[in-house]
Amino acid sequence: MDNILSARALMGISLGFHIIYATIGIGLPLMLMIAEGLSLRTGDELYHQLARRWMRPAGVLFAIGAVSGTVLSFELGLLWPRFMAFSGPLIGLPFSMEGFAFFTEAIFLALYIYGEHRLSRRMLFLCTIPLAIAAAASAVLVISSNAWMNTPTGFRLVNGALVDVHPFRALANPAWAHEAVHGTLAAYAATGFAMAGVYAAALLRGHCSDYKKRALTLALAVASMSLPLMLISGDWAAMTVAVQQKPKLAAMEALFTTTSGAPLIIGGWPDPASGKVLYGIRIPKLLSFLAYRNPDALVEGLDAFPHGTIPDPRLVHPFFDLMVASFFIMLVAAVWFWWLRWRRREVPLDKWPLRALLFASPFGLIALESGWLVTEFGRQPWIAHGHMRVAEGMTQQTGIDLILFTFVSVYLALTTVLLKLLLQPASIGDRAETIQGDRHVDS
Amino acid sequence: MWTLENLAAGAVCLGLVMYTVFGGADFGGGIWTALASGPRAPEEREGLFNAIGPVWETNHIWLIFVVVTLFTAFPRGFAALFTALLVPLVIALIGINFRGAAFAFRHFGRQTGKHIPFMASIFAVASMLTPFALGMAVTATATGKIDFVNGWVQAEAWFWIGPFTLVGGLVGLAICAYLAPIYMTVRTEGELQNDFRRQGIIAGLVLGILTTVEIPVAMVDAPLFASRLLASKGAPFVAMAVLSGATAMVLLWRCRFLWAQIAAAATVTLTITGFASAMYPDLLIGQLSLAAAAAPAATLSAFFSVLVIGIIILVPSLLFLYWTFRGEPNPELPRLWRD
Ligand code: HDD
Ligand code: HEM
Ligand code: HEM
Repeated sequence: MDNILSARALMGISLGFHIIYATIGIGLPLMLMIAEGLSLRTGDELYHQLARRWMRPAGVLFAIGAVSGTVLSFELGLLWPRFMAFSGPLIGLPFSMEGFAFFTEAIFLALYIYGEHRLSRRMLFLCTIPLAIAAAASAVLVISSNAWMNTPTGFRLVNGALVDVHPFRALANPAWAHEAVHGTLAAYAATGFAMAGVYAAALLRGHCSDYKKRALTLALAVASMSLPLMLISGDWAAMTVAVQQKPKLAAMEALFTTTSGAPLIIGGWPDPASGKVLYGIRIPKLLSFLAYRNPDALVEGLDAFPHGTIPDPRLVHPFFDLMVASFFIMLVAAVWFWWLRWRRREVPLDKWPLRALLFASPFGLIALESGWLVTEFGRQPWIAHGHMRVAEGMTQQTGIDLILFTFVSVYLALTTVLLKLLLQPASIGDRAETIQGDRHVDS
Repeated sequence: MWTLENLAAGAVCLGLVMYTVFGGADFGGGIWTALASGPRAPEEREGLFNAIGPVWETNHIWLIFVVVTLFTAFPRGFAALFTALLVPLVIALIGINFRGAAFAFRHFGRQTGKHIPFMASIFAVASMLTPFALGMAVTATATGKIDFVNGWVQAEAWFWIGPFTLVGGLVGLAICAYLAPIYMTVRTEGELQNDFRRQGIIAGLVLGILTTVEIPVAMVDAPLFASRLLASKGAPFVAMAVLSGATAMVLLWRCRFLWAQIAAAATVTLTITGFASAMYPDLLIGQLSLAAAAAPAATLSAFFSVLVIGIIILVPSLLFLYWTFRGEPNPELPRLWRD
């Protein structure tokens, strides 16, 4: 494979791998905080037990999050040294701040895990607060550097040299707000659904217990509360993209030609050769309305931008639709469950609503991964939008395909052993739950 | 002297020292897991494993700190380093991955008793790969062999393999193998403690020999580095490192374990600081100065303001952590995997 393709594939695979563990690292602390808080509030031991039990597999997942994150920070230099030489002074700051968030996370995690006999319940609960905050902060910060790649600010270029460098302005770049809010909430939605799916599966198998019902309700409550926020923040993201990153919007919506009163195209396969979308469903004027709140607004299509500066809609449009479709799948399953729960004042144990939940449970992570693919593929061919192309940011080293092969093998090996461990039959009674507690890793 | 880029270089050096003194010992644990022999080998392995389990992830963050500080404060240096040293860094990364994962897996798999021997061996071998490769990568910056063409690094595939860097890799290994058993003497008793004492003494001798050999090798293979190391800048550190290393040996010999631990950490700190002082004022010796590699002043001052705020958050949290777990390590303490 040629060097640049290998480098892009390697970066994408590494990020796609890391984000699974990072997501759990963000979502789980919030769950812990809520469970410990409820336990304190109601005096109910079960919530505390719930939280303690989640910790066991979490240790493994956190460790893989840490090593895969290390790979990423090295890859920034190994694959994209020229990009980093240019952007390091601007995006280094959020990464430095993220380092402190990691430290804080590690410290309070250690306190929470090993402090069971040394700290009061109240203290344990209080430890989960900085834990949850630090986890969310690390997402918000790393996303800032990604947002900078989409909307680079805080500097001027004079003859290729950086001048007028304002690192804090780079940190607070225009795309940061919507990406940070939408991207961090996504972790809660994804973790919540994945965990709910695990307990739905257990209940379906007929191992009914108070513990599982409580866990299912809690996980799904967190997920369901994030869902409407995902819709609102997603809409905000799309409106902001329409202003800041017009080629990305055109690729997302598979809009080849500039149109006023543009239709929303759902599904279909964008065909650049003919400039048409095959088999898509069109809803007249909806795109103009969604993007600009005006059904007759003019929306720039891919033809509005110079050749060689636009992303490939075949990579962007399907993933955008997948993200939005995942949202609706999760919505249906969640609404069904809560409806029955509200009607009966009891966790419904019927087959179909639980099956629906089980089916919906991987879609949080699917939406999250595909949302990232929209963001990343939609930025192409730029590594820093408008300033540096991906090819210009790359290393001059050759043989990247070998490195790609090496790391794909490493990831495959890690995943195989992880799955083998987490899925192996339990040797100790109630471990079954926690072990299945991690099925979502493979989904 | 107190310019922003020198302070930033100090931060990189501090990160490197912390990573070696804390993370290095974790790697050393892996090395001795592989080398352990004799009747108490299983207990030795178990002890090493238990000691590292809770801390390696925190210790590991120092490496991230080094990488992030490099690309924030020395973006051009970072780009040059990571271009030229691609291969050894990839090797180090593979080791880091396997080691971290093997650790976590082994912890998790403990209850079922499965997988452990296989995992343990991966963990051990990977532990050797990483310090060796990192040792080579760090010493490669002192060879003056990284080519620049028009101010941009031109990667020569295998320049980083030479007598000086090979010994450098071995020194990296020896540092890790030296720290782990010495730290273990403080946590063990009786026969086991004596085993670790013996291992510490052996590793100390090896480390002493290797660092001594490195000096004549450097004269041939990295002459600029050698001349700076033996001149007024480096020499005091070399002398102090020798003194501190000898002290550590005596203390070990006389079973003053707590002090031996401190002296050993000081020896390693002085060795690294000595290396850094001989590099000063360059990032790549004779080729790229700190000043030329540094980010604009606005970035450096922003970096330090973040550092200060971070420390204000971090220090009380760390103190609380140590305060909570003060006193004797309680065996009744619930372990993560055993509740
Ligand atoms: C649980 C996951 C999830 C769900 C249900 C949704 N999204 Fe999303 N979306 C993400 C997870 C995500 C993400 C992975 O977190 C992204 C990638 C980058 C980012 O900031 O968030 C993202 C990016 C992203 C972007 C690109 C932002 C940019 O590149 O600057 C847009 C326009 C939307 N989303 C829009 C939506 C809409 C209209 C949704 C409707 C219902 C929606 N998303 C649901
Ligand atoms: C975790 C979720 C993310 C996923 C799944 C993801 C995915 C991808 C993919 C698929 C590519 C290759 C795109 C292509 O070449 O067509 C890529 C490239 C890249 N991503 Fe991301 N990304 C994520 C987040 C981030 C973040 C937070 C950063 C912040 C620094 C980042 C930095 C980069 C860089 C530097 C490249 C290489 C340049 C390029 O190809 O544009 N990514 N990512
Ligand atoms: C949107 C994308 C990303 C998010 C949300 C994210 C979030 C996180 C989180 C929450 C952790 C802690 C892991 C845990 O405790 O389980 C983590 C670890 C880590 N991440 Fe990411 N990350 C993202 C992308 C990246 C990128 C692009 C890089 C580097 C270039 C990176 C570097 C790291 C590193 C080095 C660690 C390990 C820290 C440690 O040793 O504990 N991450 N990440």
